[in-house]
Amino acid sequence: MPGVPPGLRGALPVLIALPVVVVFELLLAGSPFATYLLSIMGVNIILAVSLNIVNGMTGQFSIGHAGFMAVGAYVAGVLSLSLKEIALSFLPVAVSDQVFLLLVLLLGGVAAAVCGFVVGLPSLRLRGDYLAIVTLGFGEIIRVFVQNTEMFGRALGLSGIPQTAGLGMVGFWVFVVVLVARRLAGSSHGRSLWAIREDEVAAEAMGVDTTGYKVRAFVISSFFAGIAGGLFAHFVPIINPGSFTFVKSMEVVVMVVMGGLGSTTGAIVAAVFLTLLPEALRSAFAAMGAEGSLAQKVDQIRMPVYGLLLVALMLLRPQGLFGTKEIWEVLPRWLPRRRKGLA
Amino acid sequence: MSSSTEPTPQQLADAPLLKAEGVSITFGGLKALTDFNLAIRKGDLQGLIGPNGAGKTTAFNVLTGVYKPTQGEVRVGGQKVNTLKPHQINHLGLARTFQNIRLFRALTALDNVKVACRAEAFSDAAAHGVAAAALVRGGVLTAIAANCRTLVLAGWWKSLLLTPRFQAEERRITEQAEHLLEVMGLLHRRDEEARNLPYGEQRRLEIARALGTQPNVLLLDEPAAGMNTREKADLMVLIRKLRDDFSLGILVIEHDMKLVMGICEKITVLDHGETIARGAPEQVRSDRKVIEAYLGDSYLETHGGAA
Repeated sequence: MPGVPPGLRGALPVLIALPVVVVFELLLAGSPFATYLLSIMGVNIILAVSLNIVNGMTGQFSIGHAGFMAVGAYVAGVLSLSLKEIALSFLPVAVSDQVFLLLVLLLGGVAAAVCGFVVGLPSLRLRGDYLAIVTLGFGEIIRVFVQNTEMFGRALGLSGIPQTAGLGMVGFWVFVVVLVARRLAGSSHGRSLWAIREDEVAAEAMGVDTTGYKVRAFVISSFFAGIAGGLFAHFVPIINPGSFTFVKSMEVVVMVVMGGLGSTTGAIVAAVFLTLLPEALRSAFAAMGAEGSLAQKVDQIRMPVYGLLLVALMLLRPQGLFGTKEIWEVLPRWLPRRRKGLA
Repeated sequence: MSSSTEPTPQQLADAPLLKAEGVSITFGGLKALTDFNLAIRKGDLQGLIGPNGAGKTTAFNVLTGVYKPTQGEVRVGGQKVNTLKPHQINHLGLARTFQNIRLFRALTALDNVKVACRAEAFSDAAAHGVAAAALVRGGVLTAIAANCRTLVLAGWWKSLLLTPRFQAEERRITEQAEHLLEVMGLLHRRDEEARNLPYGEQRRLEIARALGTQPNVLLLDEPAAGMNTREKADLMVLIRKLRDDFSLGILVIEHDMKLVMGICEKITVLDHGETIARGAPEQVRSDRKVIEAYLGDSYLETHGGAA
């Protein structure tokens, strides 16, 4: 954006994106399935892009993203349930709903961020794989905790949360997380994160507070996982511990690895692809006439398919779809260069 | 840092930029470094030599905070740094290069230097220090409070909102990094990934990166390793030039005697962690103990000794 005055550059993307998001919501209002699928896709994008800040940019390996998502989902869900009856009288009902939604989402995100801080601080002071082990444990602890707490509805889950998260709200947060990730990557803070990923000892010797940066990246990532969970809780009819298992964490890790560790656009593309994959499989099986049996078991055969995909990826393209680059840096190289050949 | 031995500002100004006093470090029963002393002032160009495994790199690691000394103390600019972390010591004005090149390999040459330039750009050194200190003193709660403050102070939000001031800051960092690349003769490699540079240029890029943190003292760990004679000669000129242009104190570890003897005004010789000689190059060259350490005492017997 060379022609834009510097004062406006910060706000410009927001001014462009907001109307687009609202138009999208209005256009798709008549199609519940498309809305649902796009919302799931949005949540997955938020999860993948935020995990990419830790796993990709900072090079730390977290495998408990579903745990932070659960924190956000349950905190936002419980808050929403208790605030259900209240409305801001001076605003139209729909607007008041969105204001409350935004509020509980933020609180859910903050709760997840605090969890991220508590989990990250001890484990990120060390080098190596400790974070993976701790986050794995954290994800399971949260799930078991929820399963045994009356307030969170135990194994049955929470139902009756107001279904106020439309495509507009999901789209807004997708936009926010992508903007944060991209701007972070291009700033001096982002460069410090890349440096930690490349060589922690050297980064520290060059004056980068490695523990501080790792924890901050992790907190930001957890915050957005919490937001994603909160959004999820406000458009699915019921949330239960089964939605936030280790399988969900792995799904997000697969998205990040597939897109290329460190590539924001890669994470987006992989998230979209992996969200559509089960649906595509379902239609494919149905079309092949495997009525009832295979088509319904797509959710179960999803994991072996992910496994095969990962194996194929590691063999064919170990750096992931885009490596550490973004789509606009990679795509021109993939396209055939006609001009050069002729000249 | 401790209150009773806090030096006066006058003392701070007069103190050597880097001073090690009676530093020892042991790993279990192994004495890697014994009673190591060193003082580097502005404009000094000193050498640290010794046979393989003598403890030269260990000495570097103690000075830069990678290892904590078992005994003795290290002072940077008059301030005791025994308990500080490497990045805090770096903020006090001490930068280093590594024996086995440790560049940020996937980053471009320019970004490598920009990472280092960042350190002082936001004056977030102070802000980060606050957070770390709070963690030592109070529990998690104080740390959370301090971290929130840091997030505000260190300007992460500025980079997210792309404030005009942030953009100006980024431009300044880029200019500074480009200047350093130019000084090290690497400007033509600006956008190339560090891992794709030839060996000699990688070494020079490491020095450029170290200079990006605006140090007072520069520690070079075998800067000429793997270079050919021609490159070594160029490097000698370059190191002298850096000392004068950036008014640094420089300490060099080097195996190449010609280079060390050629540029250093004072040389410290280590063997088995002990300082066996110290002085001007000619003095060290003819020292009996040094010859013994390098060539073995059988050499002295057959050649009748040099001292």
